[in-house]
Amino acid sequence: MLKEDFVIQSNIRRMLIRSSIDYSRMDFGTVKGVVYIRGFFRISRLYTDGDEEEEKEFTVKTLYSFEKKIRSLSGVTDVIFQFLNWRKEKGQWVPIEGKKKEEEKDDDENKTESNL
Amino acid sequence: MMRTRRNPIYKRILSEIEREVQFHPRYADLQNQFALLWMVEGEMEKAENHFLEALRLNPKYREAILNLGFLYIEMRRWKEAEEIFLSEVKRHPRDGSLHHVLGILYLQAGREKEAAARIHKSIRYHSYYRDYYKKRRVWQRGGVHLHQKAERTLKKTHLNHHYAHLHNFIGLYLAKKGKSAQAVKELRKAARLKPDEFIFHANLGTVYAYQGAYPKAIHEYQKALEIDPFYGLGYANLSYIYGLMRRTHEALRYMKKAVQMNPRYADLHYNLALLYSDRKRYEEAAFELKKALRINPNYLFARINLGVLYEDQKRWKEARREYRKILQVTPDDEHIRKRLERIS
Repeated sequence: MLKEDFVIQSNIRRMLIRSSIDYSRMDFGTVKGVVYIRGFFRISRLYTDGDEEEEKEFTVKTLYSFEKKIRSLSGVTDVIFQFLNWRKEKGQWVPIEGKKKEEEKDDDENKTESNL
Repeated sequence: MMRTRRNPIYKRILSEIEREVQFHPRYADLQNQFALLWMVEGEMEKAENHFLEALRLNPKYREAILNLGFLYIEMRRWKEAEEIFLSEVKRHPRDGSLHHVLGILYLQAGREKEAAARIHKSIRYHSYYRDYYKKRRVWQRGGVHLHQKAERTLKKTHLNHHYAHLHNFIGLYLAKKGKSAQAVKELRKAARLKPDEFIFHANLGTVYAYQGAYPKAIHEYQKALEIDPFYGLGYANLSYIYGLMRRTHEALRYMKKAVQMNPRYADLHYNLALLYSDRKRYEEAAFELKKALRINPNYLFARINLGVLYEDQKRWKEARREYRKILQVTPDDEHIRKRLERIS
């Protein structure tokens, strides 16, 4: 299979723009068909009336769908997630405790949004 | 008064934004958008309050500053509007559109001499305004001639800026909600009202790109770059669009240009490296990756790519060195550990 890293990279970028993921604090790279994704995984402007369970459930669903979409891209042989606030354990996405405060602090520092 | 009152889409978005503002009262962009929508509703005081709030949160927020200026024109508060635009002109003395707005403002305030001088400046600094005023027969034989008909038309044009930004914002909002067909309609309205604004064409290009309408996206990005050839990220976005079309030859050409315009963006060097690497131009790829790493030594992906590139060229020592550096930052990276073990 032809592995065009730049083509994969462009597709991930488009995928992120079309999604509800806040990609402002995420980085991604592609190495010979292997996709690396790092940083904080968050949903943009998620408001669930403060219901943490609902928020978590939505984020997990988004993570699974995001992973599935990347894996289905032509040329992708593997995806390696290195999120600071979520990790995959035995096939399940689980939040990494202790990172929430760090995220909230960063939230306060990033008030003005850019365009698309 | 504004024409788009009672438009159901704007009404709905207004209530959605109101809700978002309650959740995120300290987001300057939300306050600015909220104010734009209140302006459409004819609620000028509310609009003013929210523009001011946006500026309190971020005093350098240029779009909110300009919007507030246009609101003051609409409210016929000439002095406050003049203050805003004059201070902007001081900062951007060669921005033709600012002189154009000041011209309109002076016309409305009955200060015709000053209006003519500003219109003259707008024409001098921006070729778009030469055609604009020529069409309206205000620019004739190298001079500004303000006749009654032109004055009547020009007095209304300050709203073009407001409407254009409103349609742009609504377009982006709808695009984020996945309603790209409606988003395109709004963004096209914005570009029609203010054809010299490169960002409207760029946004239209972005929405077309995620709709999958790549030729249209390319057309809009090229328009944006015609207006502002220094819009470096426009070249990068064109490159990504060609990437989506698997036309990597053009993608490479535009990414090179993007790097040339933004030599301090590590991410662009990284993407250029991928394009070289895909074409097996390994030396140039390594050169760009090293540049990316010089700009950002913690750019992990650039280091991974460099390690793999060395490995492909059987330069084991250099590959090991890069992998070890990566493991110092991410010791749990099994993928890299395995690669290192394989060549140790």
